[in-house]
Amino acid sequence: MADYREPAYADVNRDILQTMLVTGPRYWIVFGITSTVALVCFFLPWIYQWHVGVGAAGMNRNAVWGTYLSNFIFWIGLSHSGTLLSAVLHITGSGWRKAIYRSAEAMTLFSLMTAALFVMVHLGRVWFVHWSIPIPNPMGLWPNFRSPLLFDVMAITTYLVASSIFIYMGSVPDYAAVRDASTGLRRRLYAIFSFGWRGTAQEWHTLGWAYTFFAVFVIPLAVSVHSIVSWDFAMSLVPGLHQTIFAPYFVCGAIYSGTAGIVTVMYLLRRCLNLERYIREIHLDNLGKLLIALSLVWSYINILELFTGWYSGTSYEYEALRFKLFGFYAPLYWEMITFCALVPLLIFWKKIRLSWNRMFVISILINIGMLTERFIIVATSQPRKFLPAAFGFYFPSVVEIMITIGSFAVFATLFLIFIKWTPCVSIYEVKETLKPLRRAA
Amino acid sequence: MAKNILALFQYEDDFLAAAAKLRAAGFGHITLMTPLPMPEAEKLAGLEKSPVRRFSLIGAIIGGLSGFAMATACALVFILPTGGRPIITIPPFLVITYEMTILIGVLSTLLGFHIVSGLPAWRDAPYRIESNIDRFSIVVGFRPEDDSALAVKILREAGAGEITHWEEPE
Repeated sequence: MADYREPAYADVNRDILQTMLVTGPRYWIVFGITSTVALVCFFLPWIYQWHVGVGAAGMNRNAVWGTYLSNFIFWIGLSHSGTLLSAVLHITGSGWRKAIYRSAEAMTLFSLMTAALFVMVHLGRVWFVHWSIPIPNPMGLWPNFRSPLLFDVMAITTYLVASSIFIYMGSVPDYAAVRDASTGLRRRLYAIFSFGWRGTAQEWHTLGWAYTFFAVFVIPLAVSVHSIVSWDFAMSLVPGLHQTIFAPYFVCGAIYSGTAGIVTVMYLLRRCLNLERYIREIHLDNLGKLLIALSLVWSYINILELFTGWYSGTSYEYEALRFKLFGFYAPLYWEMITFCALVPLLIFWKKIRLSWNRMFVISILINIGMLTERFIIVATSQPRKFLPAAFGFYFPSVVEIMITIGSFAVFATLFLIFIKWTPCVSIYEVKETLKPLRRAA
Repeated sequence: MAKNILALFQYEDDFLAAAAKLRAAGFGHITLMTPLPMPEAEKLAGLEKSPVRRFSLIGAIIGGLSGFAMATACALVFILPTGGRPIITIPPFLVITYEMTILIGVLSTLLGFHIVSGLPAWRDAPYRIESNIDRFSIVVGFRPEDDSALAVKILREAGAGEITHWEEPE
């Protein structure tokens, strides 16, 4: 039976640290499954692709972008969860974020790592990746910073570095709590990670300022990252992609997908790590409201996209629209609309919004819809372009499908490592939400 | 050996009152430790605007300049003439400038955090693990002219639960 009473400060330390320090067989079974799936479905097919070449993927002359890039957009999108919860809600002073933001930040970091892996997978000859870095090389090549692809390299590198530092810096006081609660090698290790943190007024004061500056840096960074990803598509002249709405469309979709991802992760953490006292209905309620707002904005932008395509008056845009709505991939399009625009309307009902099980299902459906959206963007526009005689077709190969499935296992494995490495709920920030320890009270 | 006493408090109002009284009695070397951020304690410690902001600003400016310089240098060293457009093209280079502004800004904020907070601090310093759980602690460092008995009296009267003496190497 879950204990829903407000915890004391010492309870917070005990409850949250036990998620790290106590590891049962269930954890190792899940970890074994995810790491095996990651190896078999992601890394082995990728190694096979190194061996036989990028032709192992279903991409062809017309469709030079495929599932790898649609997955890349999906994972980058999922990474926007942490930014929203950590940075935006920190700046706006929303206290309810405190119990859930650490895991959201971890989602950001690991989604980004998974997304970065997809860039490597898509490259084919990954051993030449250093050519995108401005350093001297034997070919005498230097990166062309006029290309949106190089914007991407810069944006993702910056986002990865900023997210890592953001999560690390916010965890320093909690690493000190781990240090104090452990012995032996773990104690020595966490003494290093916590930098000798003692919780002095000077340390808290500096952390508060630095954290706020990080938040200020990270918010425009997140917006720029997904805008830049959208420009990879929108700066081409391909019908269906060459649209000015793409940047806000991508950013909104990213935050939407990330917020749904947070609901999924919170459900699992709450259930599996017995964190019912910390991850509560208020979090679900507020995340539900955010999801409704985001779903409405996302639906509006989708309607706008259809309208601008129709209003353009060009036959190419008409054809791109017709293929998307009624062509081979039309069932996927309507599935996306159902999962991302219609199903979330159920969240308007408070009964559904406050039900963990129902919200979990809805959050999964939203992310299936968002993954589909990314696939549709890549598969319905770019293989067809202008000349009907040169229209191509894209369908993912077995290697691509396996790598797609494997990417979820890679993410899950990284997240499972994280929850044993860092307290998945911020100890000191949860204490801030509790009744203060005052004699007068 | 530098002499210190460390007092633990159960309640934050007792802790804040004790810190204020010690300050008023002229004890200069006071360190306040809390298990969570506490603006009142920071105010008592005389902390206002943090110098971290200067690190952020300077880092962001250096990042912006170096981002534009990097894009320009690459364009000049490997010239790619495209449709009569200039070699140094401002709009796309501004994206690189923007990203580098944030990258170096973030890194210098991290540097600022470490320098200003004095971390890493792995030396042996007065500390009790309770002050990272549910107690508030005050460390008073004594100069030769300080009256340590007075400090103990103030702390006791303010409600300190436990007072320990601590000697740290100079």
